[in-house]
Amino acid sequence: MTDRILALSGVRLTLAGNAGPVEVLRGIDLSVMRGESMGLIGPSGSGKSSLLMLMGGLERATAGQVLALGQDLGAMSEDALARFRRANMGIVFQSFHLIPTLTALENVALPLELAGAPDAMARAAQELDAMGLGARGGHYPSQLSGGEQQRVALARAFVARPAILLADEPTGNLDGATGAAIMDQLFALRDRHGATLVLVTHAPELAARCDRVVRLADGLIAS
Amino acid sequence: MIAVARTALRLALRDLRGGLRGLRVFVLSLCLGVAAIAAVGTVRGAIADALVEQGAVLLGGDAEVSYTYRFATGEERAFLQAQAARLSETVEFRSMAVTPDQTQRALTQVRAVDGAYPLVGALRLDPPMPVQQALSGRGAVMDRLLAEQLGLSPGDGFDLGGARFTLSARILREPDGAASGMSFAPRTIVALDDARSANLLVPGSLFDSSYRLLLTPGTDLSALRQKVETAFPDSGLRWQDRRKAAPGTEMFLDRMAEFLVLVGLAALAVGGIGIAAAVQDWLAQRRESIATLKALGAESRLIHAIYGLQIGLVTLAGIGLGLALGTLGPMLAAPLIQASLPLPVAIRPSLPGLAMAAVYGGLAAAIFTLWPLARLDQVRPAALFRDLGEGAKRRPGWRMMAATGLVLAVLVGVATATSGNPELVLGALGGVAAALAVLALAAAGLRQGARRIAPRLRGRPGLRLALAAIGSPGGGTVPVVLALGLGLSVLAALGQVDANFRAAIAADLPRRAPSYFFIDIQPDQIAPFLARADETPGVTRTESAPMLRGIITRINGADARRVAGDHWVLRGDRGITYAATPPPNTTITEGAWWPAKEAGPPQISFSAKEGAELGLKLGDRLTVNILGRDIEARITSFRRVDFSTAGIGFVMTMNPAALAGAPHSHIATVYTDGSFDHSAFLRQVGATWPNITAIRISDVIARVTEALTAISRGVALAAGVTLVSGAVVLIGTAAAGDADRRREAAVLRSLGASRGQIRASFALRSALTGAAAGGIASAFGALAGWAVMRFVMEAPYRFEPVSALALVAGGMLAVLAAGLAFAEPALGARPAQVLRARD
Repeated sequence: MTDRILALSGVRLTLAGNAGPVEVLRGIDLSVMRGESMGLIGPSGSGKSSLLMLMGGLERATAGQVLALGQDLGAMSEDALARFRRANMGIVFQSFHLIPTLTALENVALPLELAGAPDAMARAAQELDAMGLGARGGHYPSQLSGGEQQRVALARAFVARPAILLADEPTGNLDGATGAAIMDQLFALRDRHGATLVLVTHAPELAARCDRVVRLADGLIAS
Repeated sequence: MIAVARTALRLALRDLRGGLRGLRVFVLSLCLGVAAIAAVGTVRGAIADALVEQGAVLLGGDAEVSYTYRFATGEERAFLQAQAARLSETVEFRSMAVTPDQTQRALTQVRAVDGAYPLVGALRLDPPMPVQQALSGRGAVMDRLLAEQLGLSPGDGFDLGGARFTLSARILREPDGAASGMSFAPRTIVALDDARSANLLVPGSLFDSSYRLLLTPGTDLSALRQKVETAFPDSGLRWQDRRKAAPGTEMFLDRMAEFLVLVGLAALAVGGIGIAAAVQDWLAQRRESIATLKALGAESRLIHAIYGLQIGLVTLAGIGLGLALGTLGPMLAAPLIQASLPLPVAIRPSLPGLAMAAVYGGLAAAIFTLWPLARLDQVRPAALFRDLGEGAKRRPGWRMMAATGLVLAVLVGVATATSGNPELVLGALGGVAAALAVLALAAAGLRQGARRIAPRLRGRPGLRLALAAIGSPGGGTVPVVLALGLGLSVLAALGQVDANFRAAIAADLPRRAPSYFFIDIQPDQIAPFLARADETPGVTRTESAPMLRGIITRINGADARRVAGDHWVLRGDRGITYAATPPPNTTITEGAWWPAKEAGPPQISFSAKEGAELGLKLGDRLTVNILGRDIEARITSFRRVDFSTAGIGFVMTMNPAALAGAPHSHIATVYTDGSFDHSAFLRQVGATWPNITAIRISDVIARVTEALTAISRGVALAAGVTLVSGAVVLIGTAAAGDADRRREAAVLRSLGASRGQIRASFALRSALTGAAAGGIASAFGALAGWAVMRFVMEAPYRFEPVSALALVAGGMLAVLAAGLAFAEPALGARPAQVLRARD
């Protein structure tokens, strides 16, 4: 827990909106240590998801620098970013974003297959088993419940054992009980694999489960 | 690289498990265009095979040597006889077949044959009998329809050029009929000896003699041709052999097939709009998957490979279906096709034709999918977190644009290289490109206009919503206007050209043209004939000229075709006349007419337009072979000749001294008004001068119109494919907008709009889009029609409003029907369900 796995300095993000440019992030300085779990909270529109996108290299900062594992994400090409994510990051979305034409097993195997792993399917099957979905591997996303879909998404995020896990309101589309179960699984996995976790959430009690909580307001770190 | 390909293939195949939903329009559009071209290729291949397989039958021998207005000399005949295992002599000329009571008469193309006829193949007669038996004792056989027209049955007598013949049988199929190309009169066959003894072939008569050779197997045709042409270099002989037995028919069918392939390409272009729109929609549906793949670490090349492979597989499916349809269609329609062709053909798959269709299909698919595929790079993983919408569509990178340009260039190159008429191909493809550009501009204008007008329409929500939908980026306006507009443009252009062509031939020509051409008038008959005609009530004008035929063999001593190329004037023999003084209304454009009484060396006055096309100038020497004799004459003047009136017009007029002594006949034209008694005059002429043949221009026009109708029916059928392609795109676009329509209907209903109001709004937007497509197509059709009439036909153009209005109405109704058909389910859906699904 001594080295910085994510380091953001002077990060600004301006997006084009229908009524003109919108300043989403207005100067963020933030570090995340290896193995740390950090909760990002704040009201809607405060820039939480945008900050997460910047950390994942899914969005480019208008100004400032984003370093992940010591590498400047802003200096990388789209393909280099893709390769970097493949090797180091797992991402969980609020809307699951499973590929509808792939089965649960195939969705989980996808990151391994993209990395050229020869045993992708076997490892994906193990991961699904561990999530309690071993029997649902052949089902398509449309045949799964919301909670099951998010568990598949969790399995997909962890299957390649990433160093960094980014989660964007992973329980936002789930009912309370299912959401709680998913969060338990998320933290259990994170503890088991020792990944660094950045969790965006509206819920202070979920954020409180993290080592550190950062509050965003109006594009700035409030506390 | 291989690992990427393997992963891409695996993922592509998995993704395709979701079915072809969204790509059905792609497959269908491609299939239709490929099927149209494959069908043309199948029929063309079958005809080409038939021409090769039946070359000898069509020609009536392995080779044929023919002469104009003369028989072979004894020396020529002996030479030909020595080359052949068997030789047959036939003669062709036109004459009048008249019933004995002189009440019925008709022009006929007579073939007089010797005892060896036919060398190859068999003449099918009704009642069945050997041809020599049918022709014995001044017997004759006649085309079935001609016999019916004259009311003749086997055993009845009739007159031919004043000589009595007996009809022995009717012709059901003439094996060598197609080789003669298009003729304006039905066939009668008589014995050559009878034609001679009946004085049907006197010196100066217009006839062609042919000597058909049956050769020993293994004879080298090229070597033999060279031997014959070397032995008689300036005899004016024409050579034909079984390798190209029916050049006229072949050329006509080739031209027709080329034209139909172009129409097929237009169908592919129409379908291409649908293909591009379908791929764009399909990729839009996969935006989330693509973004997810990118977020999970997929590189661009893998993404391109996955979706490129899927498009490739779907392209293969479309081409495969098209090839199957394009082969099976003609095979199923074989009886119909065979009945309309001049020679028996076996319809079977033609590999070159299918290969060509597949190549065109592949190239067209590439042209229309590369662009949308290039947009894959514009999908950002951030789309997963935020609804980024479609965003501004940027142009794809220069590499993709260059690749699209290259594929387009290959398509144009293939089409041009495989065509006998590159100008036509370039013109047609240029026309399609121009039409697409105009339609794209018009669609953009329509959208802009709708967007501007919509906000001003307060208090008229139906119209406002309709215009807003037309103006919206995803409203489907552009593909509908492009695809339907292009399909209708092809139809409009063909409609305008067809209507103008028909008007020129069937309406304008009879007003300007003479009523009759009389041919084979002997020199001693011309004066009394003209006198008789002039004194006949209803005759308004007569014209006449001496007439010979000759072939231009050399220009300034060098081979004419080598000097001036393949111009129609140099193809076969042309009419030649002579005159001491310029005929009335002659306009000399260059040089001077010869002095009336000069007995100097041969001189020619040449048609100015054709002379310019051949690159001729004053002082050039032309060698013209007339009746086997070479006459070298110098061009001393050029004059304007108007062939469009169908009156007497000669490309070449010589001074009288040049043709002095050459046996010849005269032709005359007779112009009449409404009071002219046709049958009385023809009866008189037939009784007084039975050798004179009358050609009624209205009959010729009828035959040309008949042929034109058959051609335009074929073309309309092919053009129909473009329209069907347009309809497929239209329905596909309507189907793709279904979810949006449901949502819009649900929101409107939640806001209190009645179903009638919503239906009216949907109908209005459809009708406006359809009318725009039809209107633009009519304007483009008129432009194309004008260009064809002005530059190709060199005839005046008149806008034909009926077909144009029909197109606008048709376009409007088509879009309206599709719009309403798809509006009904949207109106039937429960708003709460639709809105909840959206949340």
